[in-house]
Amino acid sequence: MKKLIIFITVAVLTYTLAVTFKDIPFGENRIGDLNNPGTVSAYYLQKAPEDLHVSNTITAVVVNFRGFDTLGEVTVLFLAATGLASILYRKEDEEEDERITLKSSSLVRTGAKILFPLMLVLGLYVFIHGHLTPGGGFQGGAIIATGFLLMLITYKRFNTNHNVMVWLESIAGLAFVGIGLFGLFRYGSFLQNTGWTGNLNDLVSGGLIPLIYIFIGIKVGTELTNVLDILLKIKPRKN
Amino acid sequence: MVISPVHYIVAPLLAAFAIPLLSKVYKDAARVVPGIVLFYNMIISFVLMKEVSEKGFISEVIAGWQAPWGINLVLTPFTAFLATMVSVLGFAIWLYGFRFKRTLKGGVVKYYEILQMMMIAGSIGVIITGDIFNMFVFIEIVGITAYSLTAFYRERNGAEAGFKYLFIGSLASSFLLLAILIIYTQTGTLNMAQIAERMADVPLSMKFISLIFFLVALGIEAEMFPLNGWAPDAYSQAPSPTSATFAAVVSVAGVYALVRVVFTLFDVAGVHNYLIVMGFVTMLVAEIAAISQKDLKRMLAYSSVGQVGLVLIAFGIGSELAVFGAIFLMLNHAVIKSLLFMTGSYFIYNTDDKRLVAMNGIHKKLPYVSALFSIAAFAIVGFPPFSGFWSKFYILTSAADKEMIYLIVGILLVTIIELVYYLRTVGRIYFAKEEVEAAEHKPSKNALVAMTLLTAFIIVIGIYPDLITDYLHNAAMSLLDKANYIQEVLK
Repeated sequence: MKKLIIFITVAVLTYTLAVTFKDIPFGENRIGDLNNPGTVSAYYLQKAPEDLHVSNTITAVVVNFRGFDTLGEVTVLFLAATGLASILYRKEDEEEDERITLKSSSLVRTGAKILFPLMLVLGLYVFIHGHLTPGGGFQGGAIIATGFLLMLITYKRFNTNHNVMVWLESIAGLAFVGIGLFGLFRYGSFLQNTGWTGNLNDLVSGGLIPLIYIFIGIKVGTELTNVLDILLKIKPRKN
Repeated sequence: MVISPVHYIVAPLLAAFAIPLLSKVYKDAARVVPGIVLFYNMIISFVLMKEVSEKGFISEVIAGWQAPWGINLVLTPFTAFLATMVSVLGFAIWLYGFRFKRTLKGGVVKYYEILQMMMIAGSIGVIITGDIFNMFVFIEIVGITAYSLTAFYRERNGAEAGFKYLFIGSLASSFLLLAILIIYTQTGTLNMAQIAERMADVPLSMKFISLIFFLVALGIEAEMFPLNGWAPDAYSQAPSPTSATFAAVVSVAGVYALVRVVFTLFDVAGVHNYLIVMGFVTMLVAEIAAISQKDLKRMLAYSSVGQVGLVLIAFGIGSELAVFGAIFLMLNHAVIKSLLFMTGSYFIYNTDDKRLVAMNGIHKKLPYVSALFSIAAFAIVGFPPFSGFWSKFYILTSAADKEMIYLIVGILLVTIIELVYYLRTVGRIYFAKEEVEAAEHKPSKNALVAMTLLTAFIIVIGIYPDLITDYLHNAAMSLLDKANYIQEVLK
């Protein structure tokens, strides 16, 4: 009976959603005239290359047009890491837990050693070139964290320096807000970009956008690494 | 330096990112810094409220892109009032919980204080933003902090409550995202004023589907029946300052989001009746559940849900007087319920027992706290001369204006239920025959100051409601005047 009710509810929900989404013409060009924008997407497509000189429009949207949302999302990640740490804290008298790892084969150990620096470089590349190529701070940060994850599960004695992590994380976050405040005091609007934006497709272009994305990359990388570090140290408790 | 609405968000964010560094230099930074930030927020909210009452409207753009293109923060008399209320109560709760967990060592306090501060900042963000996706981001911030704080005590019940809240909250987030997605595909914008302007052209089916998703998602945040299963558990398992914050800050933000969507974004008339019906059911079910609770914090939690039900009824009635009453009730609920949680948790702290039975004859040990609890209990039921009387009075008057006789009878009947369990609790505190052994934990000075200030507010507003009624009428007008909102934002 319970299963039947669940089935009917899900079926009704699916049907309604399907009918609704059928009417939304996904993939069609509904952006309209770029020079006389009626939707935000048209405005963004027109302004990103012209005013901001950023060839990756998505980066322009994420970091500049809707930078405030991105600041919020970075904060969500920060708070998730903080919340996790607050729930999984160690009491003073409990000894430091060791990571639970299985002994890995020499193939994995050698491979990890070779891959780790390459992954760091790739991560750095992705978020430094966030305004030119696909990807950006969040993606680059995730790649870096994956590199650390590889090392953490392969080598039992590999440890991240907790102090350095805290410093990097805090400074990256403060720098993001600081750049925002620079816009507020210099140009009168929080997170406003500088007037100087360089040439389209140059590495140094887009004003403050690449700088913000680099800080986002550092913050996301350190935070995800911290989360992984905390999670890998939990032992099943007996009680 | 010019004060602008963005300071509400920037100051807590700077503090949250800086606290891990500062606490390496100064051990108590995690306790002190949030207080400074919340005090700053309180000051700027008074400055901004004064500015709004002169100008009528503040709209601040972010990143220099004008209103429909970028994100904007909007202060109307309504949102400025709610933001002020949330900031003041946030500071009061910080003051109350300043010495919270003083015995705990290590980084835990740091995490607790950061989460607590960001929960308040996120709620202010929900209230002041003028962009629907930005509102989603702030609801996420409030959600993440609330889940972790619910599970803060590492024990079985806390974990269960936290997980339940996490599960339902994530469902709410996904539904909210779906609703925003549908609206975006139809209107091509995320600015609330422009959505409201273009809503007339949206096909009816799309309008209804997105409205339903909005109602479900925000109904979860606003504790509307039957979507409030998480609330009693979360309220009763969270640390006490957090329970007070849930009642005073988070539920206000949830109700605000719901009301903003219903009043400004959509132009569907029937939804007001839906609010009345669901509000009444919420209130009835919650108060009936409250009367059978054996646990003090659970009882207060159900009572909170009941109050939110009454707020929704008042918004559903929709006349200017009713909306005025609803805003007044939101204020009263926030102040009185946080006072109830603050005083109530001192009973629990002293007896080490959450059950109501443990409160028997406790007034001998804690005479002052018991008196404050009783005042708050009378105020929330709606006895004159406390502030709770006026909000209920105005809501009933507005219902009478619309000749909703059954609604009035219903509200009064539910009030009797409310009266029964609050009087019973106060009776236990003062007149119970058998007395329980209570340990001696005198309230700390800062907690006493916070509780006394809130009580003073209840009594002063109860005697001179005229102090705020003018401003509240303004606020109600500004919520109902949709055309003006659209015009001012898109100017």
